[in-house]
Amino acid sequence: MKKIIYLISLLLFAASFSYGQQFTLKGQIVDETTKEPLTGAYVHFDDIKGGAITDAFGYYAINGINPGQYKLKVKYIGYTEYEKKIQISGNQVLNIPLVEKAQSLKLVRVYGKANKESEASSRRSEKNADNITNVISAQAMLRSPDINAANALSRVSGVTIQRNSGSDDAYAIIRGMEPRYNNTLINGVKVTSPDPVSRFISLSIVPSDLLENIEVSKSLTPEMDGDAIGGTVNLVFKDAPQYEYFKANGSIGYSGLFFNRKYDNFNQGAVQSKSPVQRFGPAYLAPPGYFSRANLDFTQKNAPPTSLLGFTYGRRFFNNKLGFIIGDSYQNQYYGTNSQFNNAQLDTRPGKGFQPVISDVANRTYSTQQMNNGLSGHLDYKFDDNNKLSLDNVFLYTRLVQSRLSIDTSILGGNGGRVGPGTGTVFNDNRSTLQNQYVENLKLSGKHVLSPHFLFDWAGVYSNATQVSPDRADISYNHLVNPDFTSTPDYFNNVSRIWQKNGNKDLSAIANLGYKTGIGINNSLELKVGGLYRHSTRYNLQNEYSLRPTATANGVKSPFTDIYSADWIVYNVTGSLASDKANYTAYENITAGYGEFKLTLNKLDVLGGVRVENTEQGYDTHPVVLDIRSNAKKTYADILPSLQLKYKLTETSNLRASFFKSISRPALYELVPTPTLGQSTDVTGNPLVQHTKADNYDMRYELFPRKEEQLFIGVFYKNIVNPIEFALNGSNNGQLSTTPQNFGTAKVAGAEVVYSKYFGNLGVSGNYTYTYSNINTTKIYTSTDASGVTTSVPKLQSRPLQGQTGNVVNLSLLYKNDKQKAFVQLAYTYSSRTLTLVYSNYGYDYYQQPQSFLALSGEKQVSKHFTLTTKVNNLLNTPTTVKINDLIQSKDIYNVSFNIGFRYAL
Amino acid sequence: MKLKYSYILAANLLLAATFSACQKAELTTFNEIKIPTSSPISPGNISGFVKGTLVTGQTYTVTADLTIKKGDTLSAQPGTIVIVKNNAQINVQGSLMLIGSKDQPILFNSDSNKPGTWGGLQCDTAEAITIKWTHIDNTGGPDAKGDARGSLKVKKAINVDIEDSWFTNGQDDLMAISNGATVTILRNTISSSGSTDGEGINLKTGVKGVVAYNVIFSQAGSGIKLETSSKIPFPQTEVDVYNNTLISNGWRRGSAEPGRAVSVGVNGIGHIYNNIIVNCYHGIELFTDGDITKTTYGNNLFYATVDTYADLVVPTQKINIRDNFYPEGAAGKPQISDLISKKIGDKDPLFVNFDGTVAAPNGFPNNYDFRLKNSSPAFSAGNPKYNLDLGAYTSDGKGNQH
Repeated sequence: MKKIIYLISLLLFAASFSYGQQFTLKGQIVDETTKEPLTGAYVHFDDIKGGAITDAFGYYAINGINPGQYKLKVKYIGYTEYEKKIQISGNQVLNIPLVEKAQSLKLVRVYGKANKESEASSRRSEKNADNITNVISAQAMLRSPDINAANALSRVSGVTIQRNSGSDDAYAIIRGMEPRYNNTLINGVKVTSPDPVSRFISLSIVPSDLLENIEVSKSLTPEMDGDAIGGTVNLVFKDAPQYEYFKANGSIGYSGLFFNRKYDNFNQGAVQSKSPVQRFGPAYLAPPGYFSRANLDFTQKNAPPTSLLGFTYGRRFFNNKLGFIIGDSYQNQYYGTNSQFNNAQLDTRPGKGFQPVISDVANRTYSTQQMNNGLSGHLDYKFDDNNKLSLDNVFLYTRLVQSRLSIDTSILGGNGGRVGPGTGTVFNDNRSTLQNQYVENLKLSGKHVLSPHFLFDWAGVYSNATQVSPDRADISYNHLVNPDFTSTPDYFNNVSRIWQKNGNKDLSAIANLGYKTGIGINNSLELKVGGLYRHSTRYNLQNEYSLRPTATANGVKSPFTDIYSADWIVYNVTGSLASDKANYTAYENITAGYGEFKLTLNKLDVLGGVRVENTEQGYDTHPVVLDIRSNAKKTYADILPSLQLKYKLTETSNLRASFFKSISRPALYELVPTPTLGQSTDVTGNPLVQHTKADNYDMRYELFPRKEEQLFIGVFYKNIVNPIEFALNGSNNGQLSTTPQNFGTAKVAGAEVVYSKYFGNLGVSGNYTYTYSNINTTKIYTSTDASGVTTSVPKLQSRPLQGQTGNVVNLSLLYKNDKQKAFVQLAYTYSSRTLTLVYSNYGYDYYQQPQSFLALSGEKQVSKHFTLTTKVNNLLNTPTTVKINDLIQSKDIYNVSFNIGFRYAL
Repeated sequence: MKLKYSYILAANLLLAATFSACQKAELTTFNEIKIPTSSPISPGNISGFVKGTLVTGQTYTVTADLTIKKGDTLSAQPGTIVIVKNNAQINVQGSLMLIGSKDQPILFNSDSNKPGTWGGLQCDTAEAITIKWTHIDNTGGPDAKGDARGSLKVKKAINVDIEDSWFTNGQDDLMAISNGATVTILRNTISSSGSTDGEGINLKTGVKGVVAYNVIFSQAGSGIKLETSSKIPFPQTEVDVYNNTLISNGWRRGSAEPGRAVSVGVNGIGHIYNNIIVNCYHGIELFTDGDITKTTYGNNLFYATVDTYADLVVPTQKINIRDNFYPEGAAGKPQISDLISKKIGDKDPLFVNFDGTVAAPNGFPNNYDFRLKNSSPAFSAGNPKYNLDLGAYTSDGKGNQH
């Protein structure tokens, strides 16, 4: 299938060179008032196929025109259509100014068309939105060094991206709120997650190419899903264009990390897709020979370059009634992490004051190949001006192949023999993982203007995410460096093989009915009711085989020389499938309804209403021993009022205020009280964890002096009852084990400023968010009193909310040169100290240290169709460092990554 | 005009306020698991939920996991025989009272009589454990999930009383007791347990009590291990370890993780006196992260029957057992009151019958007699606070009765 798509794209690519050789019409399309070039405007002759789209500098060119008289049309969203009769008798240059469309008053009072045009630019969306929103347009994404949605999002005010060492997974943190408090939507609907320990899809697997824009809503209206406290990220995929649209891009890149070390590779062919039980039935006794060895044989090679390819094609048929757009983005990335991971514990040695101390040092190197393919299709049929049907399909495929080599040395005496640096027991733990993720999201939706006053829209969504991780293989062996620096041989400890599969399926139905009417000349009222039903199911299947070394003749553990000569017995010959508590099924049913009004007065917009959400969640595990917590059900109902006020101070400025209640639900895996394996963190669920409820207050002043220029100043306050935070239970070989918990009530307050402006060729865009958060939790405090008696007592500790970042700065400088057709952008991101994990001892939390990132991107148009692009990320080689007080607990280094490529536009 | 819509607005807000008032609280319900009532025990096949008494002279066959529920008691009279099939385990959430006698010990074994062929006593949440004059043989091995099973596991602050019993050919930890239990572990014989790992008596996180007059022979890992937890360092584990005879322990885990006769680590406290330690890989190892200031020790006898022992994996490497009585790198130091052998024959405890076996496999038969010959230097060398003599077999008759 994929091959065919690439073939098609190649053919299209070739075809575009074979145009005829008559006359050429070219010129530039600009905004009449601001004189700014307009990108993506459609220039064509009436009733004739073809035409041209303006490039990033507003230039267009139509070739192969036979002499004659034509009616020239220029269409650009949000601008009045331009029409002119011209005579072509030779090559001609025609610059055309377009006039921005004034908002029709009539539209405010009744529903116009079902095919509502989107706004001219992101800035206009922000200005006219009912709630507090930030929008990044496709253009902004195209111009900046962002290959995926995660990178693009990190430039939105108040948004930071949470990353996990050893993987490229990225989740949005809005205003310092953990990803869990934020919603990630695709085309307005939730997408199920294939990740066993995450509720949302990683933003890094959504290529920015496919996106029309990204909307970040920081306040909720009643018609929106109520489970977002920080905000909602909506990835809006491209819509079927009015004109024939084709874009392709390609690039290659390299991770700077691999200039200094090799890429650790293993034989992927040795990964067996099926476990012994899957292949031969539950009674099968797996022999030692069943388990392959080559996937635990790690060899070094030079890292291959990263390659990215993508295309988007779209057009309309049948008098523009039927339109489609299809986009495919393929990324094959090779990246790595060098990570130092230190186990910490309380120092109980005399005089050490029970401070945290490093007990083990582990060095881990990750080598990862991640292949993403995102295929999205959109089909819409416009029956008439009043009825429209759309079919959206998003299919994402990710394949992750990862080697993790870990060397763990004990620092304290725990395992004996340590007398100083370079001595003690050394544990090697090497792991190979292969993961396939499939996300399928199909949405059928309709919009019907029933009468000028009534609008009905509906959607049915099927979403299915599956992750298959066959034969995750892990080997551990160890040796001891004696006090005299002699070393024992390596001893073979254990091999574990895990076949894991999980899936998440959602079925949703959504319907809304709106009524709109005018009141007097300048005012209007809109009433809206609607509802949603969503049924989600999730399952996790895990089957683990434990392989232990065959004892030598005298009963001793056998030495380890290499994987091919290791001799093992299968410790549990039938696997753990039948009795593994990690096997569960879970479900979530959500029923929601709302009523909403929007009153548009002369200067004031009032939007308010209430949403009711009923939730039912439950799970069922397979207990080995009967356990009261093996099966549970939770029910809760929430009433979520919302009120949004927008006061138009002037034509170019707004003042907004909003209040809304919202919630955050624990993910299903967070309820199941058995460990779910993740890449570097395992989560043991907690059925007693309560859902989070929040009261949110927001105010924002917005100024839009000119197109592409803005100033926002906002403040917010949130009272969050029962935030869900992750408590660290412990770690083993650098794999953390955590549990979700409620620690009380948190208060979050903050302010943000957004500013962007252009001075001729130079543009500045920046935003800054300050967030204060506080929660008091009970910790264990250990101390020795004057008489030498040591006690551990509960003590309240005041601390920030987990995942909350105090200061976030995004700053970018843009240089564009219309003559040279060149863009250069330098983007800087800063985030301050962030609490990553809560530990049970007083003064002993894990904080990620402040980070500064710098990225540079540039592009230059070299011909009518071709643009060369270059992107360099992480110029400062910023590590991710986690500390407990002053103790470095972990440090991950990713290094710089380089990318060079081209873009082709029709 | 405007007024009318203000009314709607007000009505809406009022509605919202009313709704908020009657908001439904979150409810978590755990589906009731139907736990059957415990059946009284009768001879023959038993499984499932049971309580009652195993009667003298009867044989019981456990065909699947047994569970003694909270509040229930499983007792055994002297001379009871229990044969376990199908790798089953015995879960104790209530009380376990196995009271055998010297003449009529109780017997627990698997039907196959091979090491690691039944699940042992899983007493994580038990209410009381008393085991006297009982043979518990061939425990351990993996459970269905592939996890190794200790032979006797307790994770609760209860009294654990284990006296005069035999534990033979277990697989993982033999006794693993934690979370503040109070232990009385006296006069037992633990033989050839642990496959390639596992301690004999592993006491963690706040355990208190006494471990005395036990014989531990050929344990894979350490004979007796004391530690607290790095996460919950208080209350500390604090145990008196005296008059134990610890023979040939710690070899099967390999030289990278040598086993010890007795170890103290992670904020644990030990009072280690009057033990006889022969042919163990490491003798007494006090890790630097143990509570060394409160740990006391002395009057221990260390002996090796060979000058060096060829490493089992790298035979060219010769291990001098005597160098490891107090291994280098740890905090333990020879005490004046110790009897420390300098060469073969020096401070030999003179067991009645022992052939000098150093490393032996799991399941190796223990046909030795670790009583002392009359001329043994172990007599009258003890710390009188515990006993005048060293080792498990003392002249005052308080010692091991096996």
